[in-house]
Amino acid sequence: MVRVKSRYLLCEINVTERKYLLQLDDRAVAAAVREAVGRIHGDYGEALCNIRFSVKYLNAHTGIVFLRFSKRFYKLLWSALPFLTCVKTRGQTIPCFLKCLHVGGTIQTCQKFLIKYNTQQLHRMLPNCKNEEEKEHVRKAIMNCSQAWGRKKDDDDEVRSEEDEEE
Amino acid sequence: MSVFMDLNVPFTDNHELLQQLIQTAAHLGYSTVAINYMFEPSAKNKQVPVPADISQLIGPLPLVQGRSRPIRVLHRLTVVVSDPAHFVTRANAEEYRPFNLLAVQLTSEKLFHAADRGVVFEVSYAAALRDSTRRRYTITNALSLMESCRGRGVILCSAAEQALELRGPYDVITLGVLFGLCDADSKDCVSSSCRSVLLHAETRRTANGIVSTRRREGAGPLGEAVSAKRAKVI
Repeated sequence: MVRVKSRYLLCEINVTERKYLLQLDDRAVAAAVREAVGRIHGDYGEALCNIRFSVKYLNAHTGIVFLRFSKRFYKLLWSALPFLTCVKTRGQTIPCFLKCLHVGGTIQTCQKFLIKYNTQQLHRMLPNCKNEEEKEHVRKAIMNCSQAWGRKKDDDDEVRSEEDEEE
Repeated sequence: MSVFMDLNVPFTDNHELLQQLIQTAAHLGYSTVAINYMFEPSAKNKQVPVPADISQLIGPLPLVQGRSRPIRVLHRLTVVVSDPAHFVTRANAEEYRPFNLLAVQLTSEKLFHAADRGVVFEVSYAAALRDSTRRRYTITNALSLMESCRGRGVILCSAAEQALELRGPYDVITLGVLFGLCDADSKDCVSSSCRSVLLHAETRRTANGIVSTRRREGAGPLGEAVSAKRAKVI
C-alpha cells in the first residue's frame, strides 16, 4: 500500500482588530480558501481542493490555523492563498490575510515549530506590557515554556539511551 | 536566515496608517522597508518632495519578527518620466540626496537594456490583490518581464496602501512562482536582489563605490590646516 503523504501549512490569520478573530471558525476559513483557489485557478483549483484539503485546527485566540493539502498540489494551492482578502462568517465579512509560518510533512513538526514561535511571541510581548502584573504573567508563561522544552529534551535523551542499551 | 525587504511602501499623509503598515511589516518579518514618494516633474509647480523624519512620523521602530533589531526604514523617490535619459544624468543632484533609493516609472518603452548595469525592475503585487482585471494585467506584465530578463534583476514589492495588503515573505516567494520565476530566483527577488539594490544605490553617493565624503560641521582645526598649506605654497 503506497503511503499517503500530505503537507501541513501552518498559517497565522492577521486581522485589524482582535475581536474579529474570535468570530472565525474552521468551516468559514475552509470556505474562504476554497473560494480564493477557485478565483485564481478556476475549476481545476476547486477540483484539487476536493482531494485532501481540510482545516485541521484553528485557534481563534491566536489566529493560528493548520491547513492540510495533498503533497502533489500544495504549491499550486499555496500560490492562491495570498489572494485571500476576507473571510465570510455568520453574515459578516472579516477583512484579513493569511501569513504562512511553516510547511511540514506531519502535524507533529508543525506543532514543534508552533511551540517555538509562541515562545518568541511571548518574548516580543514582554516589553509591550503595560503594568507589572501583566509582565509577571508573561514571565511565568515563558518559564513554563522553557521548563516544558527542557523536560521533553530529557525524555528524548532517555529514549535514545534506552535504544542504545537494547542494541 | 535570509533578510527580507519590502522596498515599496507608498507614503501617505495619514501617520497612523503608515505606522500600522510598518508595524505589520515588522510583524511579518521584513527587516527593511522603503517609504516611496511619488514625483511627477511634468506637472507644474511641483518640487521634489522632502522626506519626513522617521522618528517624528512613526516614533519608536518595532522589532522585526524573529530578530532582535528594529526594522530599518529608508526613503525612496519614484519619478514618473517618459524619457529616462535626462533624469539619469541628474541622479546625483542635491534634491535627490536625502533619498536612499531612486526609481523611475516609465510611461514609454525605453530603457530595458539598463538591466545589465545593476538597475533592477520591480513588480508590485498589491494591485493584483484588489480586483481581477488588475490581477490579469499584473500577471501578464510580470510574465513578459521574466521572459526578457530571465529571472535576474527583478524585485517583488508590495506597494500596499493599507496594512491588509501586505503579505509575508514566504507568501511573496510563492507569488513569484506564479509570476514565472523558479523557487530559488523567487526567494532572491525578496532578499538578495533587494540587498544588491541598496548597495548599488549607496554607490550613487560615492566615487565609483570606493570613496564617500561627508560634510563636516563647523570650521575647527581643519580650517587652520588649510590656511597653513596656503601660506606654504605662497
